[in-house]
Amino acid sequence: MANRREVGDSADGLRIGVDVGGTFTDMVVASPNGSIHVFKVPSTPSKPDDAVLAAVEKAANEFGMRQDDFLRSVSHFIHGTTIATNTALEGKGARVGLIVTDGFRDFLEIRRGIRDNPWDHHAPFAPVLVPRYLRRPVKGRLDAEGKELQPLSVDDIAEALRTFREEDVESFAICLMNAFLDGKHEREVAAELESKFPENYVTLSSEAAPILGEYERGSTAVMNSYVGPRTINYLRALEKRLAEAGLTSPLLLVQNNGGITSVEEVADRAVNLMLSGPAAAIGSLNHFAESIGKNSLISMEIGGTSCDVMLMNEGHVNYTDRLQIAGYDIVSPSVEVHTIGAGGGTIARVDEAGLLLLGPEGAGARPGPACYGFGGEQPTVTDAHVALGRFVSGPYADGAITIDASRAHDAIDKHVARRLGVSVEDAAIGILRLMDQQLVLAVQKLSTERGNDPKLFDLVAGGGAGPLHVVNVARNLGCQRVYVPRISGAFCALGMLGSNCRHDNMRFFRGILGEISPDDLVDGLLDLRMEVIDKLLREGFKEDDAIVQFTMDLRYVGQQWDIPVPVDLPIEYDRVRSTFETMHEKLFGHVQSKGAIEVRALRSSATGLMEKLVQPQGAQTAAPPVPGETRRIWVAQKSGWMDVACYSGATLVSGHAFEGPALIEEKTTTLLVGDGDNVTVDNAGNYLIMMADNDHA
Amino acid sequence: MRSQIDPISLAIIQNRLDFIARQMGWVMIRTSRSPIFNQSHDFSCFIADAEGHLISQADGIPIHTGGGGFAVEAILDYFGDDIYKGDVFLLNDPYVAGGNHLPDWVVAWPVFEGDTLIAFTCNRAHQSDIGGGAAGTYNPEATEIFHEGIRIPPVKLVRDGEMDDDLFRLLMLNTRTPHLLEGDLLAMIGSARIGAEELLKLSASQEGGLRGAFEGVMDHAERKMKHLLQNLEDGEYSYEESFDNDCFETRKIRIRVTLIKSKDRLTVDFAGTDPQIRGFKNSSLANTYSAVYAGIVSFFGKELPRNSGTFRAIEISAPKGSLVNPNPPAPVTMCTVFPAHEIMHCIWFALTEASPERALAGWGKNSFPVTSGRDRENRTWVMYNWSACSGAGATRTRDGFEQIGPIVTLGGLTIPNAETFEQIYPVRINKQELRCDGGGSGEHRGGSGVDYDVEFLTDVEMSFRSEGANRPTGVGVCGGGDGKMATMDLRNAKGEAMAVPDYGNVSLGPNRMRISSPGGGGVGNPAMRDAELVLRDVRDGLVSIEAAREDYRVVVNSASKQIDWSSTRSLRNNAGSS
Repeated sequence: MANRREVGDSADGLRIGVDVGGTFTDMVVASPNGSIHVFKVPSTPSKPDDAVLAAVEKAANEFGMRQDDFLRSVSHFIHGTTIATNTALEGKGARVGLIVTDGFRDFLEIRRGIRDNPWDHHAPFAPVLVPRYLRRPVKGRLDAEGKELQPLSVDDIAEALRTFREEDVESFAICLMNAFLDGKHEREVAAELESKFPENYVTLSSEAAPILGEYERGSTAVMNSYVGPRTINYLRALEKRLAEAGLTSPLLLVQNNGGITSVEEVADRAVNLMLSGPAAAIGSLNHFAESIGKNSLISMEIGGTSCDVMLMNEGHVNYTDRLQIAGYDIVSPSVEVHTIGAGGGTIARVDEAGLLLLGPEGAGARPGPACYGFGGEQPTVTDAHVALGRFVSGPYADGAITIDASRAHDAIDKHVARRLGVSVEDAAIGILRLMDQQLVLAVQKLSTERGNDPKLFDLVAGGGAGPLHVVNVARNLGCQRVYVPRISGAFCALGMLGSNCRHDNMRFFRGILGEISPDDLVDGLLDLRMEVIDKLLREGFKEDDAIVQFTMDLRYVGQQWDIPVPVDLPIEYDRVRSTFETMHEKLFGHVQSKGAIEVRALRSSATGLMEKLVQPQGAQTAAPPVPGETRRIWVAQKSGWMDVACYSGATLVSGHAFEGPALIEEKTTTLLVGDGDNVTVDNAGNYLIMMADNDHA
Repeated sequence: MRSQIDPISLAIIQNRLDFIARQMGWVMIRTSRSPIFNQSHDFSCFIADAEGHLISQADGIPIHTGGGGFAVEAILDYFGDDIYKGDVFLLNDPYVAGGNHLPDWVVAWPVFEGDTLIAFTCNRAHQSDIGGGAAGTYNPEATEIFHEGIRIPPVKLVRDGEMDDDLFRLLMLNTRTPHLLEGDLLAMIGSARIGAEELLKLSASQEGGLRGAFEGVMDHAERKMKHLLQNLEDGEYSYEESFDNDCFETRKIRIRVTLIKSKDRLTVDFAGTDPQIRGFKNSSLANTYSAVYAGIVSFFGKELPRNSGTFRAIEISAPKGSLVNPNPPAPVTMCTVFPAHEIMHCIWFALTEASPERALAGWGKNSFPVTSGRDRENRTWVMYNWSACSGAGATRTRDGFEQIGPIVTLGGLTIPNAETFEQIYPVRINKQELRCDGGGSGEHRGGSGVDYDVEFLTDVEMSFRSEGANRPTGVGVCGGGDGKMATMDLRNAKGEAMAVPDYGNVSLGPNRMRISSPGGGGVGNPAMRDAELVLRDVRDGLVSIEAAREDYRVVVNSASKQIDWSSTRSLRNNAGSS
């Protein structure tokens, strides 16, 4: 395609973000003048691309354009997909053949014996992704320095390939001992595989995750080959359908690292899409940081089944490369998202000894909370909100559901209140206190645990259920301000539009600071830089526009955990040591002033900046806001039941300001403001809440 | 005292206490130096009330369960009112300080609401070395506790916020690994401090303080335990386990448990257990209690809390002078492994008789040595051959884990990557692969165990402490078969076979060691196992064609690797009618 656009081209057209969720597919369309439109269509889990095309059609209609004209005017079409994760969760991946070093056929199945909860003694492991008869050993060995002890056995490789052909293996993974030091043996095997199976997906552990540790490295390679074929087929098919429908720009994906990339660049790294949806929260934080005027933010996106928390400290989001998805251990550079199983559909129950428990079981989208009337019998967090007046009987979520308050009341009465010997009201309060506690602990895990005081952050609400909890959670944490985007229901779809293009890579390195030459470090870092820059160049960015960040993983000799320390070239040991010590002090509360520091890995990342979204300008008014009605609502522990002014979000515009308590009903979410808190509708049309002091509420 | 706390606050506080204990664990993992903590998690963080009752132990290895109370009680006995803000206590001795064995040191931080002592935040952790007769804390030749390392009664390591430097130097002089111990001790204190700070924040948010809440937490656990016991049939259930030797000579040594269940109470009686022995496999009282508790809680499942309230309904009778409650100076260091393993087996199998629907099969007993040597700077290194761990027993809901950390950790101990060991020790690991026919047969199969093959490239010392190499130890239940026993093979650089003692220290030059670790037991009749699962095991090389036919009554065609259904049906029908 001669006129095909590239990622790095200017954003002179419409920008589209599509987030496929379990229940809804959200689409956000941003036009160059700053206006933002949200479309929601039901997801189509068996064929997720249908919902994407349906959302395109809905948007084109809304814009009064033909679908092909609409798509031709799109400069960036960005997609967050759950297909890789769902493939793993549902066990629907490819039939993988794994080649390992002779003697190490079983690390994938032994999985280091990691038990998340040893006391859950009767629970099995997640099923192994490659059965033992498809894990084939080959002789050949590198030693702990990466030197060859024994050459690869050509016969063993041939034997393995014969088995793979007989067993109709669909994709391949290779994980050989000590390949993190040198991938040459793995490349030899891959060359054989590619000559015999030219069409198939092959993952080398030394390329997918060049880290020390055969289990985690191999598990990553296997997962990549397991989810890869289905994921990439889906993405190519979707890209083709969109192109046929008129799209001239490439389909872009959000990766685990929060950066976007093209289908081609991610095609051999499907494992980098396991967090494709939630990672986009970083784009939302980037975007809202401007209108909030502050870049130390914590987002809390709450949907029906889970809550995703992300922390941005002075513009920086933490990165990690250890993920656990569906019970499998994966290594992939990722923005740190802490997920807990607490959402609107989370179920409350009482154990036989009279203790109130919340979750992690949830009622999901179906049957959902009792008040939806889809057959759910168990009381959920949403039912507790109903019992406390935050929702009333009638249609919600743009008509997608209808709430029946009596069902919520009955479910709480039967399953919680009577069993605890308390009123329905007290039971509902208890459920919400437990929910808010879980949310507080989730935020503390990312903040307090890492030496970040949550008081210094603003809390940003996302997801349909976030705005009902955010104010109370902020009060518990001592945050001064809360920000609720009007379209918080499409938090991640919007985030995709605020994302940059980004690539990460790393390599193992071992040496003691001061004993090794800085030149060795610099050489390693520059090699890494070349790789990530090449990717950006292929995506249409110029080298000068790329922002490169170098990191070294450091630890005191003897420790087992690394701290990723940002470094600049040239490497100056004094400066590296002082940065490391500052971070160590913050994380662990002490430093060892003369302790030897060990380098464990080198990392680089390259970011190609996308043009920022134009900040929208909401309508302005001088007229005071007018509440639709006043309702009895239980507001918070200290204020109890109050007469609360309820506003329709559509009547609130920039410049409006008022004091809580207040309930604001938006199309896809509901915001509860506490007693004495001050709400302002900012220039972007979003809600900024100044928290009253704790005594007030 | 019965608590008056409302049910909602109870739920909130219970979660918060568990969160605090876990938070202490994170601090410990991230700051400690020894692989035994940050890789293998051989430590426990817990909160005890002012009387020494265990309130929360959300973070920690199972064999530390419940033992914490003994340590805090010993501090209270020694110091009475002489406990102030700014003090930090240290102890390890099993005879005078409520310790379980000498390598596990306990740091306890007293927490005050105003001037009132309300709690201790504590950390119990296995040190890398504490002196004694062998590097790495396990001295299989010990015949007195004095051979096992330094004994520490309850002492104030920190007084009024100031470290006792004299004491600290004394401790550092009594270890082969001061470079590790110093950092580890500071990490323990740091984690206890974080726990204390968090507990005070929680206390400030709770009207009337935390004392009532602690009662509520324990009352709930007691109700939960009693509810489970009420649904178990009244009666007596016994099981007898044994050692093959006393670490010096071959003879059978019995550990016997009788459970007497009556209404909502359970008595655990060790009558019939043999007297204390010469070697270091005697169990301190704290360890005996912990092993009983770990056995009971793992049997009933994850929702049972693990605090002093849980165990109010349980009475333990351990005869004085017996293997499970020895008189000083009997050595005890091995007890957290053996006889903890035997005690847990006794509890599991006796409970399996009472409640077969929850049946648990036995885990293979570990047979690998601890290896130590010296690095280029002449510092001692100590390597646990975890890559030779055993297979686990099956349950009614799953097959046994093929290879997993020791039973006393319930798999909480993470097995290191072979690559990691090659980076930090002078070793080359040649093999760590599942055994064929290693797991006990059953409707649910036992874990297979592994074949482990390692070369030590320098001079080393091996400290053997093996139980699983003389007979099958992964016991099958309810018709399930036993897992295979371990085999050991040790060769010097010339390839000559060396003698391998069950217990004892061996010094040798570069060598190669091969261990086949024991498999776990099966649960249920193997002829009831899903034939497709048997076929998969055959294809995977974990069950031989012969065993498939003999044990599982499934006939697999060796050429096509398909089930011969008609032969299988007739074999299985015959098995059913015989």
